[in-house]
Amino acid sequence: MELTLAQGIVKAAALLGAGMCMGMGALGPGVGEGFVAGKACEGIARSPENASLITRTMLVGQAVSESTGIYSLVIALLLIFST
Amino acid sequence: MAKKKSPILKIFILFVIIEVILVIVSNGFNKQLQIGFDDGKIIFRNIQSHYDLQERITEEFQIDEHYRQTGETPEIYRSNKIYEFFKSVFGKASAIGTFQLLRMLLIVDILLLFLAFLIKKKLLKRPSQPQILFELTYSTLEQFVIETIGKDKVNFTPYIVTLFLFIWVSNMIGMIPIPGFMEPTRNLNVPLGLGIFAVAIVHITAFKVKGAWGHLQNYLNPIKNPLFLLDIIGEISKVVSISFRLFGNILGGAIIILVISSLVSYVVFPVGLTLFFGIFVGTIQAFVFTMLALTYIGVEISE
Repeated sequence: MELTLAQGIVKAAALLGAGMCMGMGALGPGVGEGFVAGKACEGIARSPENASLITRTMLVGQAVSESTGIYSLVIALLLIFST
Repeated sequence: MAKKKSPILKIFILFVIIEVILVIVSNGFNKQLQIGFDDGKIIFRNIQSHYDLQERITEEFQIDEHYRQTGETPEIYRSNKIYEFFKSVFGKASAIGTFQLLRMLLIVDILLLFLAFLIKKKLLKRPSQPQILFELTYSTLEQFVIETIGKDKVNFTPYIVTLFLFIWVSNMIGMIPIPGFMEPTRNLNVPLGLGIFAVAIVHITAFKVKGAWGHLQNYLNPIKNPLFLLDIIGEISKVVSISFRLFGNILGGAIIILVISSLVSYVVFPVGLTLFFGIFVGTIQAFVFTMLALTYIGVEISE
């Protein structure tokens, strides 16, 4: 399909914004999930009998802290596919 | 050391074999391949690929948009009474998407009902292997319910187990490589409905436990709770966060599988990717959705 100049600029800006959105949005969940996993390792090393409980709590906590990354993914998909 | 294979490993290997066979039969090799000598290397490639990646993604994830761009309805939908009904209700803009979504939801429901009847037909005192699997699921989740919201509220277990099984089967069913199969949770409407339902159950439970005014004054009484506006916004954001998490994970996984398998032109099967994004992420997200719904109920009841 043919794009005018203005539409091309909008498309390019949307793609650039999607890339930046994903890149910056992945920073926080990465740091947060790594922190949670490290703390869970410490907890399991300290009390191995609670390993299943710690793992379960760790998974739920990681999924919650992942949600900001998922929001940025949804916004990036909106930027790519709806402009 | 002769170690017996565990049944989980057997199921796993069986699953991989079935998946490879199904991929080959259904959509792996139905494009014609040829050997090319263009760059001095022998490569396999598609003879004709009439889609580029953008159109392929649009066809997979926004099917109505795809058919609006190409301008024609596919042949199978044209003389379909159910499709005509959806078209009259939802309009032309979302008829095929709704049709596919409701078809997949119906398949998931029928699968769950069929399993339930199959298990219920022969309940034994000394349980068979499928019965052990289901009893294990039920008792594990029952233990979570008891730990989170207390022993007197154990009658929440059927809801929790149903939620878990429904979301899990919904996430798993997208791995069956039949054209047209997709996860129902890939569409935002399904997680949004589940999330609204979960938060509604939280509030109905709180009404029952604390009484109508006892619960409502958390949100309406500025003297008891000065930050009541933030609490109202918090309830809305609960629905948004719990449903967008499930939706984004499943949709992102599906898009990544599609993009990477089109990079290798469907020659190398995306089995490993499906194992990660399908089984691992699907199970974790089903578990997390269930646990969060349970935790919301627990927070409202305990205070």
